[in-house]
Amino acid sequence: MAEEESPSVMPKVITFLSSLLERVAESNDHNQQHQKISVFHGLTRPNISIHSYLERIFKYANCSPSCFVVAYVYLDRFTQRQPSLPINTFNVHRLLITSVMVAAKFMDDMYYNNAYYAKVGGITKIEMNFLELDFLFGLGFHLNVTPGTFQAYCVNLQREMLLIQQPLNFADSTLNLGKSLKAHLCFNEDESSHQKQQQLAV
Amino acid sequence: MEKTGAGVVVLSAKEAFEKLEKVGEGTYGKVYRAREKATGKIVALKKTRLHEDQDGVPPTTLREVSILRMLSRDPHVVSLMDVKQGQNKEGKTVLYLVFEYMDTDLKKFIRSFDQPGQNIPPETIKSLMYQLCKGIAFCHGHGILHRDLKPHNLLMDRKTMMLKIADLGLARAFTVPIKKYTHEILTLWYRAPEVLLGATHYSMAVDIWSVGCIFAELVTRRALFPGDSELQQLLHIFRLLGTPNEEVWPGVSKLKDWHEYPQWNSQSLSTAVPGLEELGLDLLSQMLEYEPSKRISAKKAMEHAYFDDLDKRNL
Repeated sequence: MAEEESPSVMPKVITFLSSLLERVAESNDHNQQHQKISVFHGLTRPNISIHSYLERIFKYANCSPSCFVVAYVYLDRFTQRQPSLPINTFNVHRLLITSVMVAAKFMDDMYYNNAYYAKVGGITKIEMNFLELDFLFGLGFHLNVTPGTFQAYCVNLQREMLLIQQPLNFADSTLNLGKSLKAHLCFNEDESSHQKQQQLAV
Repeated sequence: MEKTGAGVVVLSAKEAFEKLEKVGEGTYGKVYRAREKATGKIVALKKTRLHEDQDGVPPTTLREVSILRMLSRDPHVVSLMDVKQGQNKEGKTVLYLVFEYMDTDLKKFIRSFDQPGQNIPPETIKSLMYQLCKGIAFCHGHGILHRDLKPHNLLMDRKTMMLKIADLGLARAFTVPIKKYTHEILTLWYRAPEVLLGATHYSMAVDIWSVGCIFAELVTRRALFPGDSELQQLLHIFRLLGTPNEEVWPGVSKLKDWHEYPQWNSQSLSTAVPGLEELGLDLLSQMLEYEPSKRISAKKAMEHAYFDDLDKRNL
């Protein structure tokens, strides 16, 4: 069985993930044609930075460290399935709190309820419930993450670490998916490899 | 009725289905036999109440839908056809899970052999066990533990004798590093000893133990270990299989809920499961190994000599 991870690695994941999301959100802010308004869209940009918001979620949600990587997988799946709803600075916070909450519910046997996550995220519990349903249907309830996919997204976060250490040209650093003009988080995952999974499962 | 962005008209659950009768009730809602109006097809509608104030979508529903989306293509896992959102009379949000309809379950099937001396035919037991192992091997191959295997959660078609694994609300992915698992899972009678003893990291072997208990129950038509508390459940197991120790199960005394238990020697399985052929007893003994890592896997169980004379073409 997989062992528990040590919480000490988490702040790094927070740093890499927030760095990546900041770039993606800002890039998509510059590129607003064909973008729909959704329930995740705030009327104004939240004052709290993505990094501080993620730290807040980490501090209070007490979910397993893997939840943040899984939340990242969900965000990428969501943007791939909903190309007209790319991550930007108006929706990133709501998408984050929702994806972490759904990841915790799916992954962990012990988790906090929606009302608690609403408090952590600074929204009402009614809104939290609406966001959850929209997110789940937006994902097509595609919540399972294989070890191969999990590792691939971890590698992608490590790549982000290199970008932080030596910033590249902005245009190079946004990860584009296919021919899309919008910056996406990652790449098309291959969910079909189960050999790796068996090695990791033991 | 609502229109999607693409202009496609989507019917609500109420408009799309006609409820015929209530066939069950779970923690989060009722299950109905229903008819799909457009096709006339009979389906099972699982209605899930959302506790809107606090909890949102129950984690059991999240897991069941997500896992069935991935596993439903296997003939031995119940098929989830659709998920619909609706509202109840009070205007609260409700989720409807639309499943293929199966006319009975293994619990009812076992109970239907209620006359003394009226046993389930050995070839039927063999076929059902093979299908169960095949379905579980498929789940495990995709990194999913069921964690609540019991006769009631195994659906059947009486005509074809097809068996399908259902109720994956407690199932979970076991392949990504997570926090410790809860041991508040699984109906007591089918619960593996490592779970009863408080193990918080466990594996596919918990499902195999349940399969072994179901195997014995098919033969005798009685639960193998019918405990009414966690302690009584352990004592039932120890009386038949002997009280475990470090020799037969290294690490057992370090498990969280291990205490000093009465010392019993192991009994022959044939005393508890009379009428099961020699090869069946051998397979059962491998399913009921104390040490989880020594317990047979579902895939290996399918290759066991017990199934050699089974016609597997239609399974």
